Amino acid sequence: MYLELDDIKKSFGEGENRAEVLKGITCGVEKGHICVLLGPSGSGKSTLLNIIGGIDTPDSGTVSIDGEKTAAMNEKQLSQYRRKHIGYVFQSYNLIPNLTVKENIEVGAYLSDKPLELDEIIKTLGLWEHKDKIPSQLSGGQQQRTAIGRAIIKNPDILLCDEPTGALDYNTSKEILKLIEDVNSKFGNTVIIVTHNDAIKLMADQVIKFRDGRIRHNDLNTVKTPAAELDW
Amino acid sequence: MKNPLLKRLPRELKSDIGKYIALFLFLSLTIAFVSGFLVADNSLKKAYDDSFEKFTVEDGHFILAQLPEDDLLSDIENEFDISIYPLYFVNGETPEGHTVRFYTQRDEVDRIDVLKGEFPEKDDEIAIDRLYAENNNISVGDIYTADKKNFKVTALTAFSDYSCLYKNNADMMFDANKFTVALVTDDAFDSLSGAVQYCYAWVDHDRDMDDTAREDKSDEIMKYIAKKAVLTDFLAQQNNHAITFTGTDMGGDKVMIQWLLYIVIIVLAFAFAVTTRSTIEQEASVIGTLRASGYTRSELLWHYIALPLLTAAAAAVVGNILGYLVTPDMMASMYLHSYSLTKYTVIWNADAFVRTTLIPLAIILLVNLVIVSVSLSLSPLQFLRRDLTRKKNRRAAKLPNWRFLSRFRTRIILQNRAAYIILFIGIFFSSVLMLFGMMFSPLMDHFKEQVVSSKFSEYQYLLRMPLETDTEGAEKYCAAALLNDNDEEITIYGIDPDSDYITGLDVSGDKVYLSDGFMEKYGIESGDNVVLHEKYSGDEYTLRVTDKYDYPATLSVFMSRETFCDMFGIDSDSFSGYFSDEKITDIDEKLIAATITEHDLTIMADQLDDSMGRLFPIFGAFSTVMFVLMMYLLSKLVIEKNTSNISMIKILGYTDREASGLYSRATWIVVVLSLLISIPLSGFTIEKIYYTMMLEYNGWLSYWVAPWVYPMIFVIGVLCFAAVSLILMKKIKRIPLAQALKNME
Repeated sequence: MYLELDDIKKSFGEGENRAEVLKGITCGVEKGHICVLLGPSGSGKSTLLNIIGGIDTPDSGTVSIDGEKTAAMNEKQLSQYRRKHIGYVFQSYNLIPNLTVKENIEVGAYLSDKPLELDEIIKTLGLWEHKDKIPSQLSGGQQQRTAIGRAIIKNPDILLCDEPTGALDYNTSKEILKLIEDVNSKFGNTVIIVTHNDAIKLMADQVIKFRDGRIRHNDLNTVKTPAAELDW
Repeated sequence: MKNPLLKRLPRELKSDIGKYIALFLFLSLTIAFVSGFLVADNSLKKAYDDSFEKFTVEDGHFILAQLPEDDLLSDIENEFDISIYPLYFVNGETPEGHTVRFYTQRDEVDRIDVLKGEFPEKDDEIAIDRLYAENNNISVGDIYTADKKNFKVTALTAFSDYSCLYKNNADMMFDANKFTVALVTDDAFDSLSGAVQYCYAWVDHDRDMDDTAREDKSDEIMKYIAKKAVLTDFLAQQNNHAITFTGTDMGGDKVMIQWLLYIVIIVLAFAFAVTTRSTIEQEASVIGTLRASGYTRSELLWHYIALPLLTAAAAAVVGNILGYLVTPDMMASMYLHSYSLTKYTVIWNADAFVRTTLIPLAIILLVNLVIVSVSLSLSPLQFLRRDLTRKKNRRAAKLPNWRFLSRFRTRIILQNRAAYIILFIGIFFSSVLMLFGMMFSPLMDHFKEQVVSSKFSEYQYLLRMPLETDTEGAEKYCAAALLNDNDEEITIYGIDPDSDYITGLDVSGDKVYLSDGFMEKYGIESGDNVVLHEKYSGDEYTLRVTDKYDYPATLSVFMSRETFCDMFGIDSDSFSGYFSDEKITDIDEKLIAATITEHDLTIMADQLDDSMGRLFPIFGAFSTVMFVLMMYLLSKLVIEKNTSNISMIKILGYTDREASGLYSRATWIVVVLSLLISIPLSGFTIEKIYYTMMLEYNGWLSYWVAPWVYPMIFVIGVLCFAAVSLILMKKIKRIPLAQALKNME
């Protein structure tokens, strides 16, 4: 497995208020696969995503990417780990308001020694006409495209998407999912999508269902549905 | 690849240009002011120090009662390995009552620097002191009347032995308003009406002596001359105020001015840091994303402190350029308004560069590094969740059951406490500066009024020898000067127990009174013993203090004439001069050593006013700008931080005025409270600074603040914020309703 999670446990709070969010998660994801983490709110899927991304740490258990374990890393090494391997897309786009679309994507490119071709990415994202606009001049979908561009320009090994369509309407959501699919097939990144939208699982190679901090199902999709054909 | 975040900097600068221009201007002008002051101080000090060699300033001088016998001068020269040069002078008067000390050209010693014009060549021409001329609006080419003759002024000069215009060395303060030295031709000098003073200056051939050796040698010279001729005056260079006072006084304000800069820089550094912290809070989710994507904490740290640092660096550079090109002359004029200094050139001052550039930048860097690092030390996840507090159990502070609006405003104050604390500190330092700028002129006026109302008599004569007068009401007194442990001159008065002039003072027996300024300055209490000593012999006198006497003019001791004569071991009928309300006309003027008039008593305040007076408006303007700047920056920050909240309450139906009332009035409350706390606190601070400062000066001016000063500072503070709140009101009006919805997306 390219990404391996071994007995990940995580809890929040202390004493009586202590809540175990992840109760021993063990699973793996193949390189280049799209994996959907599915589950209701509070099931622990976002926490797991953050642990994979190195912005949160497990109480126990290990995460390894291509054999490289994150547990032993200090703050600086974790920054380098994220810089080298991880691209992040959030529900809120978190773009820098006074940089243009192109410049926001460059913010991601700066982190890589060998970033992808900027203009090509902008075209792939369908943002060529908007490349000199600032975020406030864009629609929500265009802003999320920019955020995806910022994440993938550095050609990360793993693209982590936390509810990437959570703030978008139906059509725009499908556009974004299609874009993620295109990116995956074009650049071969491993993509992990956290969502509570059951329909999205159909576009994934692997679907991991969560409930109460445990994996309830971990299935491989033999037949994938293209994102454009998803319906909910 | 260049960091794309760099592209934000010019845009941020542009979007908040008002703030950065205000900070830049304030910082650069502060640095220009301080740098100019340090450069001027250093350049003038160098010119002053160099003048000793350049113009061959005397090592001392003495005045003989009559022309010496043939061999006396050469005997002294041979005995002490010195060169002696005649420096005869005649004192004359102008129609206005000013004293003019006429000299002829000196080629060997105490040479004169011509600052404007040419040395006089004709008998009706005169060169006078530059400062005296400025004080009396006299220019080259003007006709100047002295000793009942009209002279054409051909030059404005600086006499190297009169950098400070002390008429008599014993005078409490120099007097550049009513005393000048002047240069005339030999023939013009011979035709003067006054008595020639046979003054001789000496220059020692040994240039490497230390102060003690010089002191010892001058004592030896004095004793030698005193044995062979009648000495009427003897003054070694180190005791000559006209030569040394300037050197001692220069640089005295340096520490104060530097601290002014550092305080301003520290306050501004915190203001920068607090605004940066607020930006970080507003951009928390962006920062979280960047950190999650792999941006390191230090990359973001430098990004966020870049603009404050660049603004400060630009201000330091511009401030220093102004400090060399523009302000030194302005700053030098403060010194040149007090002292008659020879020509100076502005010289590079590495120390000033370090103090006005490197140290301020280091302070701004350090304060911002610490505060912004702490702000950025949260984890990426905390930024993403906007969980920006380190406290785990965050709870809303419990408030009393006030009406809703009061609780709302209190919450705003609590939410923005960091900004408001900096605002309070800014208001406090501004109040200190404003108080400093406002209090001195009224204090001097008050002092002068007190001095005038407490003067003993219309005329106070000090005689060269005891002489009788028939002037009605003239009363004898004894006077002597002793030094205290700090080598400050104290005047000892021996008066009649039933004096008509010094009333309400029971000096019978051994009772000794000290002027209240003397007691206040040195913390002396009734019943204490005070030890004073003779300047030259070192003989000590211990006096037990009975009580204080209200006499603000000088540091004085009062006792009966009998006690005085006993103490100094002189005849019981000896006396030094007269108090009189009538002018004494039956004593030869040449035998009167000094006549102390109202002007002599207020001269200290006049001179302080003259030399420091120009600083006061600068402090006033400076503090007003600081008031406005701090109020603007920090209240703007509060508004910006609450933009979406303001938008939201507008959506709920609050009018612009009501929204402004909530947010701007919270700041009003803080401003008013800060002023009410700061003003008495600044009074306390200034009083402490004042006492320390006055200890450096001769004499004593009691601390006094005119009753209108504190209310005035309050009013100025309130007016400043009224102006700022108009701008804030506009800002609040401009916040669109959609802002709240946009941010919630």
